[in-house]
Amino acid sequence: MNMAALSEAQSFQPAVHPDDKSEAMLRLLTCGSVDDGKSTLIGRLLWDAAGVTDDQRAAILHASHARAVNGERIDFSLLLDGLVAEREQGITIDIAWRYFETERRRFVIIDSPGHEQYTRNMATGASHADIAILLVDARHGVKRQTRRHAAICNLVGIKKVILAVNKMDQIDWSEERYRAIESDFRGIAGNFNFSDIVSIPVAALTGANVVARSVEMPWYNGPTLLEYLESVEARTEPLDAPFRMPVQLVLRASNDFRGYAGTVTSGTIRVGDRLVDARSGLGATLVRIATMDGDLESASSGDAVTLVLDTDLDISRGAVLAETQRRPTNADVLEARLVWLSEKPFDPEAGYLLRSATDLTPVTSMSVSALIDFETLASAQAHECGMNDIADCRILLGRSTAIDLFSELPLTGNFVLVNAIDGATVAGGVITWVQTGAAAVGDNVLVLDRARLSGLCADLGGSPEDRAEYERRAQEVAILLRSAGVPVLIDTDR
Amino acid sequence: MTALTSHLKLLEAESIHIFREAAAQFRAPVLLYSIGKDSTVLLHLARKAFWPAKPPFPLLHVDTTWKFQDMIAFRDRTVSEMDLDLIVHTNHDGLAKNINPFDHPPSVYTDIMKTQALRQALDAGGFDAAFGGARRDEEASRAKERVFSFRASGHSWDPRLQRPEMWQLLNGRLGKDETVRVFPLSNWTEADVWRYITLEQLDVVPLYFAKERLTVVRDGQILMVDDERMRLLPGEEPRLRRIRFRTLGCYPLTAAIESDATRLDEVVAETLDARVSERAGRLIDHDQAGAMEMKKREGYF
Repeated sequence: MNMAALSEAQSFQPAVHPDDKSEAMLRLLTCGSVDDGKSTLIGRLLWDAAGVTDDQRAAILHASHARAVNGERIDFSLLLDGLVAEREQGITIDIAWRYFETERRRFVIIDSPGHEQYTRNMATGASHADIAILLVDARHGVKRQTRRHAAICNLVGIKKVILAVNKMDQIDWSEERYRAIESDFRGIAGNFNFSDIVSIPVAALTGANVVARSVEMPWYNGPTLLEYLESVEARTEPLDAPFRMPVQLVLRASNDFRGYAGTVTSGTIRVGDRLVDARSGLGATLVRIATMDGDLESASSGDAVTLVLDTDLDISRGAVLAETQRRPTNADVLEARLVWLSEKPFDPEAGYLLRSATDLTPVTSMSVSALIDFETLASAQAHECGMNDIADCRILLGRSTAIDLFSELPLTGNFVLVNAIDGATVAGGVITWVQTGAAAVGDNVLVLDRARLSGLCADLGGSPEDRAEYERRAQEVAILLRSAGVPVLIDTDR
Repeated sequence: MTALTSHLKLLEAESIHIFREAAAQFRAPVLLYSIGKDSTVLLHLARKAFWPAKPPFPLLHVDTTWKFQDMIAFRDRTVSEMDLDLIVHTNHDGLAKNINPFDHPPSVYTDIMKTQALRQALDAGGFDAAFGGARRDEEASRAKERVFSFRASGHSWDPRLQRPEMWQLLNGRLGKDETVRVFPLSNWTEADVWRYITLEQLDVVPLYFAKERLTVVRDGQILMVDDERMRLLPGEEPRLRRIRFRTLGCYPLTAAIESDATRLDEVVAETLDARVSERAGRLIDHDQAGAMEMKKREGYF
């Protein structure tokens, strides 16, 4: 696509928010269970829609011939399975990112692993997507893994899904069988918050209804996969979304410049508008939106900017700047739905940190209340959760942080849970309920501050290694105390 | 503000977000500056991310001593014009052993003069994070990489132990002895890089533009005779060809393409029209199956 075509694509959808910068690009997730043929479907899409260069074409033809997995056919999955381990085992263990353009649109394809043990990689991929293709094998229909994937797509906020019923060639292009699968899936999808559900019968291996219209299925008169992808609207935000900008950094430069750097996560702000720091409640007026390309009059969702205020709010990274009327909650008790990503199951005694927008907050205590059953999609009472589970939980924070409900403002209502000792990302979640003030540090919480740790850490100085060791010891002590039933908060700032 | 097309604007904002997250979360970052077009864009985005302050980290160039002369001149001019801190590191053990791209296979040469050199420089500087210009569209194992790519001690990469990265949230909390590579250009394509260079009117190394240059053809690839160290095979007679480069590296290992593209818009048009992927011009990547993944596991970039 050339640049003229790009600006055409931009003006192609007049109905969307004029400030939405993403309309020309679509981020597309593909998922399904093992052997449904995901990699083949994407390979076919790239191959037929001209996303493959000549040397890649030659390499794939050569390798397909050597392996002869599909008889004389081309093995399109070779385009996607990039890692040596994957080529050896013939499975997709991690998400692969592919990029291609047609005359109409720029696409990012996020190919996610089908194998159940790599569901966490799938959740990672899904969180970046505007739309998901859920692939099912026409011979087997909707499976447990399809339900799990649909549940994860829903959890991470995907609103639009395409059910691609693949391998139609294997069931003699049967409309009856296809309609049964479609109806089965629509029943399941009713449990979720999807706004658009489209289903398309395809055969990735032959290319039917992927880019070219199938001649074998005259009974299907909907769009081909590519036709739909080229015309569907990407994620859009409501016109009047409240303004939020989580502060990433405070930038200081010569001649007294002091600005708050961050990416606007929702809404629009103009020079002269009043802003408030959600945590302290202090307000200021926006006097300047600074960028290297010159000052701006306004900034909207998706813009990476630096805001200069008329008064110094004494805030730092982790603060959320918001409009004065509709503010985030300054919360220290949360309820959330999360997908557990770590191989180590949830441990109520371990130390966790909550990373939300730009803040990192210690978790004082956390409990699981329910797990989603992937057969029925109902939630059942539970107190434990492990890798690949979707769980509802309650989290008490060591201090309050500015947060929104995910259903209202996804980018200030999502979080990942971090293991305080090894730094691993153990879960990704969305805020479903918040409360202020309930978990204020009371008499029953032991605060591990510098005074209490001074003896244990007397041998440590200020080097980076020593500071890391200080942190490690504090976390280990907290684990011991929690296992003895003592609620603990680590606060080494005081 | 320049008239960025919508998706470039989105990519630019995403990259700036990544730079700021890394600068906020890591103690001692460094920007791996390899002088090419991707590094040019990377540096430009770093300047935007922290403007009006200067980027809060130095640049690091791993110099194998076999880079094109035009690259070194461009590097020094850029650093002086923008008033940046530059660290240049060469593996002097390798140099003392005369490790070079003629006597040693590309895998050995790259390991010693690039991978080991990079590890030495990162360890010597005590850096816990290194920005790189790698893009997921370059190569199959890159397509699987995270934005924050964690490395165990010894800088090795284990694709099975990659941290999940969800939404816009980047978790930079390091475990013991871990370091991280940060890739702000992850979601850019080669065409995006060129479009961005055009729109932002960025200066790039002249080698990207077609010009008559002294060359030989070896194994079907056009190599430039950049200085007197180029070893000619019997019968090889250097002659002028009108060439340019899609990717830049060590001159004996970087193949040129014949081209008439002397202006940015012509380079962009040629790139969008390209029927061969960009790394086809990098001889080191074809040395063995999964070459890039092997190099990454050993700590390359």
